[in-house]
Amino acid sequence: MDDAAISPPRGVIVGGGADLCEAVRGALAGEGVGMAGNLDEAPKLNILVVIAVDASTSFAGTPVETFSAGLGAELRNAFLALKQGVAAIRAKGSGGSVVFVAPPSAGQRSFDALRQGLRLLTKAAALELGPESIRVNIVLPCDAENPLGRICTAADIAAGVAFAASDRSRFMTGADVVIDGGRMAQ
Amino acid sequence: MTPRLQGRVIVVTGATKGIGRETARLLAREGAKVACTGRDCSDGAAVVAEIAGEGGQTIFVPHDISRESDWRRVIERTEAELGPVRGVVNNAGAFFIKPLAETTEADFQGIFDTNVLGAFLGVKFGFEAIARAASPGSIVMVSSLMGQVGFPGATAYCATKGAVTGLTKTAAIEGAAMRPPIRVNSLHPGVIWTPMITGQFGDDPALSDAFAADTPLRIIGLPSYMADAILFLLSDESAHVTGIELTVDGGRGAD
Repeated sequence: MDDAAISPPRGVIVGGGADLCEAVRGALAGEGVGMAGNLDEAPKLNILVVIAVDASTSFAGTPVETFSAGLGAELRNAFLALKQGVAAIRAKGSGGSVVFVAPPSAGQRSFDALRQGLRLLTKAAALELGPESIRVNIVLPCDAENPLGRICTAADIAAGVAFAASDRSRFMTGADVVIDGGRMAQ
Repeated sequence: MTPRLQGRVIVVTGATKGIGRETARLLAREGAKVACTGRDCSDGAAVVAEIAGEGGQTIFVPHDISRESDWRRVIERTEAELGPVRGVVNNAGAFFIKPLAETTEADFQGIFDTNVLGAFLGVKFGFEAIARAASPGSIVMVSSLMGQVGFPGATAYCATKGAVTGLTKTAAIEGAAMRPPIRVNSLHPGVIWTPMITGQFGDDPALSDAFAADTPLRIIGLPSYMADAILFLLSDESAHVTGIELTVDGGRGAD
């Protein structure tokens, strides 16, 4: 094991709005993770958080160009971040954790396709990268009406990301971390 | 860092061995007052000594989870000796491997009483106790990857764990409507190296290696990994999480 392998974990966040990024950064700091500004500044990495952007709207009201651009661009971004991030995790050589964060899908269903696309990308990557001790999980928040009658906050999402990113979930890969106040249980 | 469960009273069933024992220890380290329950009183005394030795506050209560009278006694003693209950980890369960054709009605009823009736009573008595505490609560149901996918030779066991998965979701919806609310989630471990597994298949290290080789992460599951996930589901970190299936299986179920 070289020096890099025992140095503190290093992470980067790709995508996401300012509030959520700030909450995730804070939660990861609580796990002792030092953050890089972006992927290009992080040749060696342990933790990659990829936050997809929500462009959800109704089916009927969505032009096909918007649907393609949203779905295609977001999946493409996730795939590219994964490739570059995994290269940096391999370069550091001490294993790692990739956490995708799906858009919250506030009751708008057309972009559930994006959520499910990211989910299966997560599972496929988990199977492929598991033998290298690189874990891949997805946080699936939902800010729509829910049984708990509670709003999903940036802190709620960040806590799930921190759990999935840290060694506290060292045996978890390919998993869904649903943060939806019980919506999907119904 | 502030302990995640400072002062909260948590009941952990099946706390004398495996996942339950590791969980009870971790919860105590995170500030919880833990009521450890189980059938084996000498192992119970050992786990209590272990936790007390680490500075934790704990009691052991003998417990057959499939008996309502036992649940009543567990909750009474916990409230009297530790205080109002804030959480329950319904961990106790039994493993059962037998081909479908050889599984008898008595076999099925026996495993169902332990894994399903026991889990049901755990939610029922947990809800009552947490409601008396008048604070938000969290219940964790330890199901299994085998409550999500099939496994040859384990029809009865998979049926019981599938039942726990469904029970969890309904309890989550009812618990969400309570004020203060009670969250209920299920944990789905893959192969974890515990007496439940070694009791069935033996404890040959070659077997552990074979399980690891068959797991995407190439490691065998350890009870402490499950304890970390249970802590997440009990703590306020998961305040918006209820009715979910959290799979922690080294990636076996991702395929």
